[in-house]
Amino acid sequence: MHLKVNDESLEVAVDAERTLLSVLRHELGLMGTKYGCGEGNCGACTVLIDGEATRSCITPVTSAGGREITTIEGLANGDELHPVQEAFVEHTAFQCAYCTSGFIMSSAALLDRNPSPSDAQIQSALSGHICRCGAYGRILKAVKSASGEGGAE
Amino acid sequence: MSPHESPHEVALTVIGTPRWSLEPDPRTPPGDPATLLTINDDGVITAFSGKVEYGQGIRNGFAMAIADELDVAVDSVRMILGDTNLVPQDRGTTGSASTRTVGIQLRRAAATARLTLIDLAATRLEVGASSLKTLAGRVVSEDGSHCVEYADLLSGQMLSVNIPDLVEVKAVDEFQLMGRPARRIDAISRVTGGARYAQDVVVPGMLYGKILRPPSYGAKLVQVDTARAEQVSGVVSVVKDGDFVGVVADREDAAEYAVEAIRARWDENRDTVSDWNIPALLKERAEEPTTLREDGDLSSAFFSAARVFENTYYVPYVSNAQMEPSASVAQWDDNHLTVWCAHRGPFAERDNLAAIFGLDTSAVRVITAEIGGSFGTKTPTVSHEAARLAKAVNAPVRVSYDRAEEFGWSTVRPAATFEVKSAVDAGGKIVAWDYTAFHAGENAFRGQRGADTPYDVDNVRIAVAASESPLQSGSYRSLGGATNHFAREVHMDEIAIGLGLDPLEFRLRNLSHARLRACLVAASKTFGWASREKKPGVGFGLAIGYDAGSFTAQCVEVLVENREARVIRVMVGFDCGLVVNPDGARNQIEGSIVMGMGTALWEAVEFDGGRVLNAGFARYRVPRITDTPEIEVVFTGDDDMPSSGAGEPGIVPIAAAIANAVRDATGTAIEELPIVPRL
Ligand code: FES
Ligand code: FES
Repeated sequence: MHLKVNDESLEVAVDAERTLLSVLRHELGLMGTKYGCGEGNCGACTVLIDGEATRSCITPVTSAGGREITTIEGLANGDELHPVQEAFVEHTAFQCAYCTSGFIMSSAALLDRNPSPSDAQIQSALSGHICRCGAYGRILKAVKSASGEGGAE
Repeated sequence: MSPHESPHEVALTVIGTPRWSLEPDPRTPPGDPATLLTINDDGVITAFSGKVEYGQGIRNGFAMAIADELDVAVDSVRMILGDTNLVPQDRGTTGSASTRTVGIQLRRAAATARLTLIDLAATRLEVGASSLKTLAGRVVSEDGSHCVEYADLLSGQMLSVNIPDLVEVKAVDEFQLMGRPARRIDAISRVTGGARYAQDVVVPGMLYGKILRPPSYGAKLVQVDTARAEQVSGVVSVVKDGDFVGVVADREDAAEYAVEAIRARWDENRDTVSDWNIPALLKERAEEPTTLREDGDLSSAFFSAARVFENTYYVPYVSNAQMEPSASVAQWDDNHLTVWCAHRGPFAERDNLAAIFGLDTSAVRVITAEIGGSFGTKTPTVSHEAARLAKAVNAPVRVSYDRAEEFGWSTVRPAATFEVKSAVDAGGKIVAWDYTAFHAGENAFRGQRGADTPYDVDNVRIAVAASESPLQSGSYRSLGGATNHFAREVHMDEIAIGLGLDPLEFRLRNLSHARLRACLVAASKTFGWASREKKPGVGFGLAIGYDAGSFTAQCVEVLVENREARVIRVMVGFDCGLVVNPDGARNQIEGSIVMGMGTALWEAVEFDGGRVLNAGFARYRVPRITDTPEIEVVFTGDDDMPSSGAGEPGIVPIAAAIANAVRDATGTAIEELPIVPRL
């Protein structure tokens, strides 16, 4: 089947019942998208499909066919980090960073939709994500600073 | 990046034996000399440590310390961590001990390298070494007349030096990097998906393994039929060896389907212990308690005391539930085994695997990948399982746990029951303290951590017993520290309330420990404890704690509404001596508080007859971003005190502080965790 990942068109031969997460990681070697629960409960596997934050672990690969898929590897513009990535670095909004790709993808989608979200809007957009290292306070600050409110801390 | 991939040659090697303090310490077991640090002829520095990175920022902490000692930029330092073939022998990354132990030996290695560079420059320039100093990757003369780059001095050299017995490391006020906020050197790879965890390791020809799990702990395999599994497309082999049954396939999904296609009959060990009846059983099934401290005369102190307090407390099993489920890749080359995993003690894991497979330790190499959280142990058996499958199919195999396996088959923080009996005199001074803890699990050492009381009391007995555990107990942040603190600090409030005293005042009256007092004073002041305002549903609580050589106090505000408790803010006083990286320490303390908040409010492993009943995030509630309180940390330590742990102490008082705050809001004593189901 045909997949469009990070602006690249790819042909992959896969079983229809496979998840997008499994295909990204095992067929395409895009290891930045993580497996955390496989049940849609933790957000570690979040990617963008047509700009929408999507849990790839519960998304059948077939439903992503022909649509624009963006993973953490494709978020930066060459060497230039996406503002959310930049902000996560600036605030050290992680510890082990296993959850980070997912948080960044959801935050990027949020800011795309709503460039100046309130704290409550950020929290609600990220409430499906788990950071077991507990970097939540920093994540909130990072997203805030990457938003239209940027720097207004 | 391995130094062996660099086109540049190693020009200077610094060798040392294990050392965990500035002065030689007779208690340090003699270890083999090993390479601690090298500098290439292009000036790139590589340092080696058996410690591992699980998010605590140790790579960054070490790199900063080395960069400071050598007067170079932090990005010219590479850290090689946790590869048993490359790094010096190590006891494992536990107990927040890394900065205070290994850090010092790496600093000594860097200081040795710096002196060597100065000597090289003195010879080259024909001046006295004392007229030279180092600055920004160069050796320069004090009067500015000479300046030579490290790379220049090292080109064509092949030097090897040993760390002298006494080598001077820099004083705190000479640090440029340590003690200041800094970006982590691994930050970019972490936000671009570049960091490689054990879950991400792929080696050529690698296959995927999946293990058949019993339905409950202790179940024995009676009968198994793998015919259907063998027919699943992609399956390479079904491996059967006694109770161990696993599938190897060329794709992970295929291995999963195949395991589900196995038909097995089990003889379950139907132990009737469940999360309902375990609180009392812990005492019944305990060994004889070990007395850790016994001072004074308890019975006469209780006899003559003004008031006596007595209560029993309980904390349930909780799951580490780190975000990266356990994973391991094993590869055999003849009789050599290489394992990529997320183990916190790569040498211990190497020795363990060598023993299991009857190999010499030199035939096993353990390479630690980035670790996606740990908080103690990841599943101890995963590398063994991968190695068993890899051996059977004669190809490299990865075993990755799914979330249910991680919840069901990884280790958990031991449940524990505590009996506390105390007495006070008419002046509100504690005169007797009798404490017995029953911690699940055969490892009695875990439950001893944090059991002793830091308060002033002359008549005291502290005893800890290991008790039979229906689940697999393991290491969790601070081991027994957090659970022991819960019992003690909740009991302290019980006394204070019984006496009609303010919990802060009661603690200060009984606490002469200077560092703890300083934490408590700082936390309560920042919090505004004295001027706190009672409102409906709002509660305030505090607790103190010690762990890993550090001290802390935490003041908490909660809001209780509709049988839900929310932590609004947490003010922290924290003393970990010299703070090497304040932002890193804060990050750890904030994370400990968020994690401890989960144990206070919601977390408990539910089980019955050896089956874990809530093996998934849908039924095991962990803190989310919507639960996050405002957290502020005030460091109260002295820069002249050695650095102590920052990764664990933050968790020890938080559950008690929250419980005390909920009691303040509701008037109901909290004697068990988690709190919310009991509201
Ligand atoms: S792995 Fe997809 S939500 Fe957890
Ligand atoms: S940084 Fe470790 S899970 Fe979020």
